[in-house]
Amino acid sequence: MIEPGLPVEIGRIDKELGRLWESSDDTKTRASLLNLVVYTEEPEALAANTELIAAIASQHAFRAILILADPQAATSGARAWISAHCHLAGKGSRQICSEQITFRLDGESAASLPNIVFSHLDSDLPLCFWSQAEFREPLDEQLWSWVDRLIFDSATWKSPAAQFALTRKIQSLTDGNMVLCDLNWTRLHRWRFALANVFDHSAALACLRKITRVRIECACGQRVKASLLLGWLSVQLGWRLQHLLSKDFFLAPDDQQVAFEISETAAAGISHVELAGAGFCFNLRRADNAEFFHASLQSPGIPDCTMTIGAGYDRASDILLAELSRGGRHPLYAGSLDAISPLLPG
Amino acid sequence: MSNSVIQINPLREGLGNRAMPEPCTLVIFGATGDLTHRKLVPALYNLAADGALPPAISVVGFARRDKSDEIFRKELEEAARKYSRQTINGELWGSFAASISYHRSEFDDLAGYRSLAERLDGLDAARGTRGNRLFYLAAAPDQFEIILENLRKSGLNRGVNGGWARVIVEKPFGTDLPSARHLNDLVEGSFPEADTYRIDHFLGKETAQNIMVLRFANALFEAMWNARYIDHVQITASEPLGVEGRAGYYDKSGALRDMVQNHLLQLLCLTAMEPPTGLDADAIRDEKVKVLRSLRPLEGKDVARHVIRGQYGAGAINGKRVAAYRDEANVNPESVTETFVALQVNVDNWRWAGVPFFVRVGKRLPKGGTEIAVHFKSVPPVLFKATGEAVDDNVLVIRIQPDEGVSLRMSAKMPGSSLRIEPVKMDFHYGTSFGKATPEAYERLLLDAMSGDPTLFARRDEVEEAWKFVDAIRDAWKADSEDLTFYSSGSWGPAEADELIKRHGTTWRRL
Repeated sequence: MIEPGLPVEIGRIDKELGRLWESSDDTKTRASLLNLVVYTEEPEALAANTELIAAIASQHAFRAILILADPQAATSGARAWISAHCHLAGKGSRQICSEQITFRLDGESAASLPNIVFSHLDSDLPLCFWSQAEFREPLDEQLWSWVDRLIFDSATWKSPAAQFALTRKIQSLTDGNMVLCDLNWTRLHRWRFALANVFDHSAALACLRKITRVRIECACGQRVKASLLLGWLSVQLGWRLQHLLSKDFFLAPDDQQVAFEISETAAAGISHVELAGAGFCFNLRRADNAEFFHASLQSPGIPDCTMTIGAGYDRASDILLAELSRGGRHPLYAGSLDAISPLLPG
Repeated sequence: MSNSVIQINPLREGLGNRAMPEPCTLVIFGATGDLTHRKLVPALYNLAADGALPPAISVVGFARRDKSDEIFRKELEEAARKYSRQTINGELWGSFAASISYHRSEFDDLAGYRSLAERLDGLDAARGTRGNRLFYLAAAPDQFEIILENLRKSGLNRGVNGGWARVIVEKPFGTDLPSARHLNDLVEGSFPEADTYRIDHFLGKETAQNIMVLRFANALFEAMWNARYIDHVQITASEPLGVEGRAGYYDKSGALRDMVQNHLLQLLCLTAMEPPTGLDADAIRDEKVKVLRSLRPLEGKDVARHVIRGQYGAGAINGKRVAAYRDEANVNPESVTETFVALQVNVDNWRWAGVPFFVRVGKRLPKGGTEIAVHFKSVPPVLFKATGEAVDDNVLVIRIQPDEGVSLRMSAKMPGSSLRIEPVKMDFHYGTSFGKATPEAYERLLLDAMSGDPTLFARRDEVEEAWKFVDAIRDAWKADSEDLTFYSSGSWGPAEADELIKRHGTTWRRL
């Protein structure tokens, strides 16, 4: 493993960080708006996470606490490293720096996770905890009650239904005050935004309540993401999921049936959403990692209309940055999830 | 004003912290001018690039010169490439440019407005802009009257099919109270006050918006924000530039009308106002108007005592010789126009009784910057007096531009065995804490006007109250032109300005 910084004794981290800043020249300024804890159990993720932290530190000042745990390791041990990510501020020569503290916790030491987190937080700042590992019971009530934003990525889960249930349980430990941040939902933001744009057109808006068919094409293994998009559409349009004669469909408020299909393709991510009804068909497409969505609107009231809409980027750093910069709650997430929970595997 | 329920797009819910504006057509009068090229089009492009504008939006340039849509788009693209804060993306520009068209007409030709109306109806159908129209008066102020009149006569001042019609008026909002009233009457004859947006771009700046948050979201400050704890307030807007290409306008206007009447009085209002009853536009603007009404009028002999006006002479800026104001191109060689004003303003209300607000603005000063500095009262001079140590007063500085942020000066003990007290600064920089670039003021203001949020725009009574205050000063100046002082370019203004603040026992802050 390449060492992710200057090795330090865990009990001396604060002192060593203080020395780090004292020894740096006056052009460096430490900045922090929040604590970002990233927890992983994948050894190779440490380097990737360090890169990720470096990439977003220029946009969002924080103290990063990276934890690599191997609870199954035969020998116990805890090691730590400190480092800083600096970038030039504006046009000047001043550098703004975010601190990173990295921990490796093996064997029984992995159980000291709550203590490691509690004792190294930048005080009075919010705590964002990104768990890259699947949640397990028993849950540490005190640790989770300290977390303001719990970040996870449902795209990586093997048993989505069970994991979603656990996240709800964790949230309940904080009386619902913790914000659940599913990066899979964050990735959908641009799709939701683009679809909303399509229906800003007055003639398209008139068709919105008359949709009878939804088709979503997504990459293999991205069914949860596509389902969340479908769940969002159904909540916003008042559709209720029905199951009849081994067939799933939605029922619109006017009792019109809305058929849906999620198909897996070789494309990256979601590549195509089609919303259609009697006499109209709206398509929103995105080529693999393309910078723009392309929408086409076909309806009698719309003369051959196409739109180009910014799609942003799908790099992990962009998604995380979007989540950190956004703040606030995700008011539509829980409803969208509930709407399609019967469709989720595991 | 409002739209029918059918026009609410349910897919918009929860997509951002602010509502996406409804699709609309923005018509820019004076579309070939500097403001359009330097500010408006780059702002629109940046909004589009940030996904803050719906794609179903149209921009129509209205101007006298003959040109095709293609040439107009090409010119705007060049301007956007030059002035946009974001790099222009070819594909996105292509999509954005498709929404731009050009309408040639004289401002006084009613037929041109009628054909504009037909064109807008066509755009509504083709681009789904729902009959919503936003008219931006970016033409010369002497054209406002005829434009507004023709908008009314052609019926363009009313939304179509349940849509809305709004107008954005660029400053100056008149040149004195009578002309401001006349302009406001004209606007009111065509658009109701609720659909009138008077732009003061200072209010679109992030830090100006932060003043209210700083004051009312931090118990620490608001509890001390009064005459009991505050000694005085300094508001400064300085720039090293001279009149540059604006001599024609500036020589008629001067610093008092160009900066104090609008920008600086707005900053003073945000600093001095009471907590509003809510965050809606009128609640905030009501409080600002109360401040303006509480300003102690400066009239007659008071003006000479409390207002210093100066004009820059020759000097040096950044090591380069620069000419005197009177030697600038297009300036009257005997001009008595002020390029510097310093004034002491008193807000005669319960909160601010006895607390002077010192306001200064000037050109050809050593450094550029706009800030509000709140100087707190001294601690009782008892405890540290015996040690002979001077204790500096606390100063809270809100930097509007550049390097937006807030700093607090306080006293601390120097490390060591003896007692030495030194001032230290706690500093918050927007750029440090929030890495992303703050949007340009015009981006925010255009978006607000499209969204129907007038909070950051001046209301009629605000504008008129500010003119009332400024006119009294100008009347005194007209009666006595002997008080114009001169200062060297590159200095911090005339010595008389230093005397003004010295009477209060203090000095101007060093920026």
